[in-house]
Amino acid sequence: MNQLLQVKNLKTGFRKENGMQNVVHGISFHVNKGEIVGIVGESGCGKSVTSLSIMRLLHDTPGEIVDGSVMFKGEDLTALSERQMKKYRGNELSMIFQEPMTSLNPVLKIGRQLRETIQLHLNMSKKEAHQHAISMLKSVGIPRAEDVMNDYPHQLSGGMRQRVMIAIAISCNPSLLIADEPTTALDVTIQAQILSVLKDVQKQNEMGILMITHDLGVVAEVCDRVVVMYAGRIVESATVEELFAAPKHPYTKGLIASVPKIGQGINRLYSIPGTVPSPSNMPTGCKFAPRCSQVMEICKIKEPELIQMKEHDCRCWLYQEKEQEVEHIEKGSSARG
Amino acid sequence: MSDVQTEIMPEGAVSMKEGKLSNFWKDFRKKKPALISFYFIILLFIITLIGPYIVPYDPAAPDYNKVLESPSLQHLFGTDSFGRDILSRLAVGARISLTVSISAVLLGALVGTFLGLISGFFGKWVDRAIMRVCDVLFAFPDLILAIGIVAILGPGLKNVVIAVAFFSIPSFARIVRSATLETKEMLFVEATRSIGASNKRMIWKHIFPETVPTIIVYFTMKVGTAILAAASLSFLGLGAEPSSPDWGAMLSNSRDYIDSSFHLVFFPGLIIFLTVLAFNLLGDGLRDVLDPKTKD
Amino acid sequence: MKKEVLLEVKDVKKVFPLSTSWFAEKKYVRAVDGVSFTINKGETFGLVGESGCGKSTTGRLVNGLIKVDEGEVNYKGNDLANISEKEWKKYRKPMQMIFQDPYASLSPRMKIKDILMEPLTIHFPKMSSSEKQSIVKELLGKCGISEYHLEKYPHEFSGGQRQRIGIARSLILKPELIIADEPVSALDVSIQSQILNLMKDLQEEYELTYLFISHDLSVVEHISDRVGVMYLGSLVEVASKQAIFKEPKHPYTKALLSSIPQPDPKVKREQIVLQGDIPSASNPPAGCKFHTRCPLAMDICKKEVAQLQQVAEDQQVACHLY
Repeated sequence: MNQLLQVKNLKTGFRKENGMQNVVHGISFHVNKGEIVGIVGESGCGKSVTSLSIMRLLHDTPGEIVDGSVMFKGEDLTALSERQMKKYRGNELSMIFQEPMTSLNPVLKIGRQLRETIQLHLNMSKKEAHQHAISMLKSVGIPRAEDVMNDYPHQLSGGMRQRVMIAIAISCNPSLLIADEPTTALDVTIQAQILSVLKDVQKQNEMGILMITHDLGVVAEVCDRVVVMYAGRIVESATVEELFAAPKHPYTKGLIASVPKIGQGINRLYSIPGTVPSPSNMPTGCKFAPRCSQVMEICKIKEPELIQMKEHDCRCWLYQEKEQEVEHIEKGSSARG
Repeated sequence: MSDVQTEIMPEGAVSMKEGKLSNFWKDFRKKKPALISFYFIILLFIITLIGPYIVPYDPAAPDYNKVLESPSLQHLFGTDSFGRDILSRLAVGARISLTVSISAVLLGALVGTFLGLISGFFGKWVDRAIMRVCDVLFAFPDLILAIGIVAILGPGLKNVVIAVAFFSIPSFARIVRSATLETKEMLFVEATRSIGASNKRMIWKHIFPETVPTIIVYFTMKVGTAILAAASLSFLGLGAEPSSPDWGAMLSNSRDYIDSSFHLVFFPGLIIFLTVLAFNLLGDGLRDVLDPKTKD
Repeated sequence: MKKEVLLEVKDVKKVFPLSTSWFAEKKYVRAVDGVSFTINKGETFGLVGESGCGKSTTGRLVNGLIKVDEGEVNYKGNDLANISEKEWKKYRKPMQMIFQDPYASLSPRMKIKDILMEPLTIHFPKMSSSEKQSIVKELLGKCGISEYHLEKYPHEFSGGQRQRIGIARSLILKPELIIADEPVSALDVSIQSQILNLMKDLQEEYELTYLFISHDLSVVEHISDRVGVMYLGSLVEVASKQAIFKEPKHPYTKALLSSIPQPDPKVKREQIVLQGDIPSASNPPAGCKFHTRCPLAMDICKKEVAQLQQVAEDQQVACHLY
């Protein structure tokens, strides 16, 4: 196996006055070398917290990794010290965010910010780093790269800034890039540009990309495999073709059906009733049960496991063995009684 | 309309059941200096209300057998040049100081808030006119302005109130104006305009409530300043009658005894200092809780 | 059947001053630069474009939140472009607005009850409180909010619920035209479809006319009858939904359509990736504003502005190619 990143049973929680409140509840997935994996879900499903946990960037939040491991090229990132982690960040492992303005330093020129990242991780002289920076800017499709080196972030448009962020992120030839909603703040025509840049650099460098997004269109466009999250859990994961052709989990089905598609010509959209439950108010059984159109008795009592069906995992009682189901109900009721 | 779904669980409904006030109190309780100040001010208010009935000595009755006595068990803060108990006088005087300063700031806040709201809301020449007048008033040091006003209106507590109120107006006007400018740009104000609300309605029902936290914070801090100003005017003989137990007047009367009987100056000075400090600390704490974005 | 025109926007222009510094040369942004379209009664007119194209400004010009510099806004034949704020009050009843950000468009210190009753208080000062309450309660049910929410404050609700409240508020006065400015852009996919369905249902029930402003073409395609595409303050194409999505004429519309990522990995379509950024509205290119990014630009495009022309039944394009 060519696994680049392997997340195992990751649990992340937020410190609250009355103890920890878990936001990510034991998720496991992997990213292979040169593969684009998407994590989709609606706001509050824990997808961004997952990416921050992998990068160990939770210290700005009240969040904390509670359990699990994040194996990156055979090294457990959760066990590293902050200093060792710094060697990985921006080098082997880099990240781009939704709003590039917040991750660029407003008072430093683009050139300097790029050069510093390069010099920090790659053993290069100032001159070499400068040349490398320009070639990086060119590789993400920035016209007049030499001029842009002397610009400040605010002088660039949103799309340009996101290109600069990508240039910085790939400047040290990382083997994994985590992209957290990289195109959400951008217009469609600019989004199309950025996505094609991402695909290009991914091919050139054989990078793995973990793409965090709420947009199923973006997933279908760029990803190889998809992980669907709901309420801090993985509810389904499959290859992109499989997921869109034959979604299994009612949530995934509902999500795909909710998106208006051009040329579809229907009068009413499918809609999932209700809203995502708040972390303090989670239902006991399957977290999707209150909104599910195919809900059964067992769903309200016990949470299903993520079952593996060749290359297609799904967390739903509809796909568990029937006998197992009965057994679980008995167990559930005896535990209650 | 069959499948319009009533949503199941409103987010955050749980945390809000406790109510706004208890949330406020929970946050405020963590600010220790502000909390202590709050209790101190409550104590002052209680003294203001019941002080005259519980003080051990008549604050106005002279006792020529006990002139200028140092603090003792009988007279905790000592006695003054007429043998009057200083503790009793301070307790009764609290009423004068607090009434004068709070009513002055209240008056200033009322006028200043009104000016700030219309200045921020209407902008253009209204704003420019009001703000230029405020700039002129700002150019005078507070106390000089107050002395000038009292000089015109004549000495007396009522005029001290007017003078102190007058110099609080521009600061309230300015702070409310900036809060108004910020709120005016918010979407809900535009939404209210789109349903046809009058200017009056937008100002009072939608913008004013948003400025209240700022006003409360600023009000508290301004009371401290006003106590100091009122005391200063009395000290200069422009405020309370010299014989009344006003804190500033007491300080003024004891100037001559500063070498021989230090307690005469010390205790009125201490109480003024503590009160002003308490109001400022309370204001700081309130700001942190109510209006965190104005923190510098 | 002849359709009744409810709103006619004619060559409307709006310029915003940019720098107010004394010494700098005064700059202006032509936010809306001669926009014309009509909306028939009972239909949904979608206005699409990327950020900064002036679509939201157009919406606000229509309902008078921003004053029109030039041009006409005819509502049922009355020109609203130059009337006073007092006269406007009459039109605030039949014309309502739904805003993008459901978090910011409700007064944070008012109860839902008061927010929803406010329009009635303004326009019917003599109406009794119980009468207002019954109107509010009826609409609440229609918008999918329970009655027990009336005593709550906006921050106690999720984004989707707040948008329902915003919609309920816009319906209280029984309006004819609703200007919806990106009403679902801030919402999650599953909530977005709930709100879109709700808006469709309400349109049927109350015979509403929508001016639906959005950057999302898929959403616009779903809800609109006719669509206008804006680019840098001007309409580049106005057409029926069928025409614009099946046979887009303007190169910008084509590029826009091809840029939308489709939620289906099997669809491999020819994508036109536009080069370059959207030019700044304070310094738009001469001639056709799109010529700097247009793959089919000709010489004439750099010099002359293309006017909207009828190219098919119910399809107008502003492009020199036609």
